[in-house]
Amino acid sequence: MTDPLLRVENLKTQFFTDAGTVRAVDGISFEVREGEIVGLVGESGAGKSVASMSLLRLIEDPGEIVAGEITYKGETIFGLEEGPDGELREREDMLSNEEIRTQIRGNEIAVIFQDPMESLNPVFTIGGQLREFIELNRDLPKDAAKEEAIRMLREVGIPDPEQRYGEYPHQFSGGMRQRVLIAMALACEPSLIIADEPTTALDVTVEGQILELVDELQDKYDTSFLWVTHDMGVVAEICDRVNVMYLGEIVEQAPVDELFHDTKHPYTTALLNSMPRPDRTVGELEPIEGVMPEAINPPSGCRFHPRCPEAREVCQRVHPDAREVAHADGHPHRAACLKHDVFDAGYDESPPLETATQETAGVPAGGRSTGGPGGEDGATDLKDSVIEDGGEPTDGTRSDDRGETHE
Amino acid sequence: MGLARYTLYRLLQAIPVLLGITIITFVLANLAPGDPVQLMLAGQEVDEELVEAIEQQYGLDRPLHERYVTYMAGVLEGDLGYSIHWGQPVTELILGRVGPTLLLVLSAYAFAIATAIPLGIIAATRRNEPTDHVSRIVALFGVSTPSFWIGIMLILLFAVQLGWLPSTGLVYPWRGPDAYAWIDTWPELLYQTARHLLLPMIALGTLQMATLMRVERTQMIESLHGEYVTLARAYGVPERTILRKHAFQNAQLPIITIIGLNLSTALSGAVLIEYVFNINGMGRLFIEAIQALDYQLIMGITIVFGTIFVVGVIVTDLSYAYIDPRVTYGEEE
Repeated sequence: MTDPLLRVENLKTQFFTDAGTVRAVDGISFEVREGEIVGLVGESGAGKSVASMSLLRLIEDPGEIVAGEITYKGETIFGLEEGPDGELREREDMLSNEEIRTQIRGNEIAVIFQDPMESLNPVFTIGGQLREFIELNRDLPKDAAKEEAIRMLREVGIPDPEQRYGEYPHQFSGGMRQRVLIAMALACEPSLIIADEPTTALDVTVEGQILELVDELQDKYDTSFLWVTHDMGVVAEICDRVNVMYLGEIVEQAPVDELFHDTKHPYTTALLNSMPRPDRTVGELEPIEGVMPEAINPPSGCRFHPRCPEAREVCQRVHPDAREVAHADGHPHRAACLKHDVFDAGYDESPPLETATQETAGVPAGGRSTGGPGGEDGATDLKDSVIEDGGEPTDGTRSDDRGETHE
Repeated sequence: MGLARYTLYRLLQAIPVLLGITIITFVLANLAPGDPVQLMLAGQEVDEELVEAIEQQYGLDRPLHERYVTYMAGVLEGDLGYSIHWGQPVTELILGRVGPTLLLVLSAYAFAIATAIPLGIIAATRRNEPTDHVSRIVALFGVSTPSFWIGIMLILLFAVQLGWLPSTGLVYPWRGPDAYAWIDTWPELLYQTARHLLLPMIALGTLQMATLMRVERTQMIESLHGEYVTLARAYGVPERTILRKHAFQNAQLPIITIIGLNLSTALSGAVLIEYVFNINGMGRLFIEAIQALDYQLIMGITIVFGTIFVVGVIVTDLSYAYIDPRVTYGEEE
C-alpha cells in the first residue's frame, strides 16, 4: 500500500490554563489516504476541532502541540526528537512557521469552517476574498485569479457569478456562503480539505445539497477530505472511513459500513442509538446518559466508563488504547474497549459497574468526584482501589484542581 | 437607496434637530435673568419712555413666539442678530473666530487618531505584555486628567521651564505671511503655526487619544479572534496582511462612531483650552459672551456649535455607510 497522504501519530495538543492543563487531544493516530473522505466524529468538546487545527499548526496560545508526529506527503508538519540534553526538541526536518504558511496552508491543506457568516470577512466582497486566497496560493496574477474565482463560484453552483463576485457576505444566504467557502477551498487546489462541521449551521435541505455538491466535486477533483462532525447521519452519507473521538482520544476507527454494522465500542453504539436511523426502526431514541467530562480532569481508566452501560470494575483501572479488533476491506477496525479479547484485562471476570454508572453519570468530571451522591459500600471501595492502583496520576494537587473546577 | 439619497435623507433629518436646538436656546436665553435694555444702558438713569423706545426698536415688547419667528427668519438669511456688547453683528464676530477653533479641534483629532490607532494595535498584539500595561496607564491618565490641567502643565514645562514652545496665541496659516510682521515666508509661517499649535493640540487631544486607544485595542483583539482571521491564517495569509487588512478594517467601525460622538467633548474642551492658551477662537468668545450677558451672541454660538455637532454626526454616519457594506441606508430588505 502506498504511503498515506496524511499520517497523524500519537498527537497530543494541550491548553495550559489557570485552572490546569486541558488535554484537548490526547494521543490520537489516524491516516487520510488520497481521494478518501475520513470522518472525525464526536460530541462537542471531544477535541475534534483542536485536532484538525493542529494539522495546520494553527493552535493559539495557551494551546500547544506537545507530542506526536504529523506527516503530510513525506514532509514533517510536526515532529519531536530527544535532544542531547534529554529534553524534547523540534526535529530538524520539521517545517518552519514560514514554510507551513507558504507551502502547506491553503495550497496543500485548505479548510472549510462551520459558520460561513463568521468565517467570511463582512467588510470585503466575496470576490475580493476569493481572489486574495487564489493569488496567494496559486501564484496567479490579479486578472487570472479573478477569472478563476468566478469559474469556481460557477462550479459550486452560485448563479450569476460575475455579478455575485462583487457582493458582500451579508448579501448571500447561509447555503450560498457555505458554497463560497467550498469554492475557496477548491480554488486553491489543495490535496486535502479539512471540513470542520461545514453543514452544522445549515438547515437540513441545504445540508443535503451541500453534501451532494461535495460528493460531486470530490469525484471530479479527487481531493481528500477530513470531515469533522458530530452528526452520524452525515458520516453515513459521505465518509469512507471514520474515527470516533471521545475526550481527546480516538475510541473507534473503522470503514464506515463496518462502524455502522459491526460497532465495536459502546460509545459509538450510544452515539448511533441517540440518533434516528433509516435502517432500523426504534420506538424511542436513547440519549447518552450524562455529559462528557471536562478534558482538564479526565476520569481514570477508560474515559467513557462513567457513562458506559457496559462498564465493569476493571474499566475504572485500566486505560485502553485503540487496538485492532477486526479487519475489513483491507482496513483495520480498531476499538479502545476492554471487552474485546485482545486486551486481556480480565473484563469478563470483573464485576459490572451498573450502580456506579447510574449514580455518577451526571457528574461532569467523571464518577470519582468527592462529596457526590455515590459512595455506598461497594462504590467507595472501588474508588479507593482506583487511587491505590494509580491508573492515572492522582496526587493531592490534582484533586484540589478538580475541586476548583467544580465550583 | 443609494449613498447620495441617503445623504439627502440624513440632511433632511437634521432639520428638526436644528430647529429644536434653536427653540431651546432661544427660550433659555429669554428665561435667563438680566434685562438686555438695562445692560445696554449700563446703569445710567433714563426715563421710561426711552426704555420703551429701545424695546420697541429691538422688538422686545412683542411676545416670545413672534420674536422667535423674526429671529429664525434672520438666522435663515445668515443673520444671527446683533451683539450689544461688541456692537457688531453676531455672524461677523463668529466668522472671525470659527477658524482657530476648527484648526484646534481638527488638529487635536489628527493627533489623537495618529497616535491612538498604532498604539491601540500594538497593545492588542502584545496583550498583557509590558507595552500593553504602559499603554493602559497612559490611557487611564489621559481619561482621568482634565484637559485644562494638562494644558497648564504643558505650558509650565515646555514654555516656562524649558522655553521651547510659545504658550499663548496661534498663528493662522490662512492669513498668509504678509499678515505677520515677523514672518517672511510660507514655510516659516507653517512652522510657526505648528509651534503654536503643538501644546494646545496635545492638551485637547489627550482625552480623545486615550479613549480611542482603548477602543482600538479592544476592537483589534476582538477582530483578531474573529473566525475570518483564523480562515485567512489557514489560507496562508501573512500575519502582517492579516493585521493591516483583515483585522484592521473591521476594527475601525466603532472608532468612527466614537470620533463623531466625541465631537461634543472636543468642542467643549476647546472652550477651556482656548482660554488657557489665550487663543481667539469661538470658545473664548463664548466665555466672554457669557461674562457680558450678551444673549444674542450666546445664542448664535450655541447654534453654531450645535450645527457643527449635527454635521459631525451626519459625516460619521455617512462614512460608516461607506466603510461597512452591511449598513443598508434604511431601506427595507
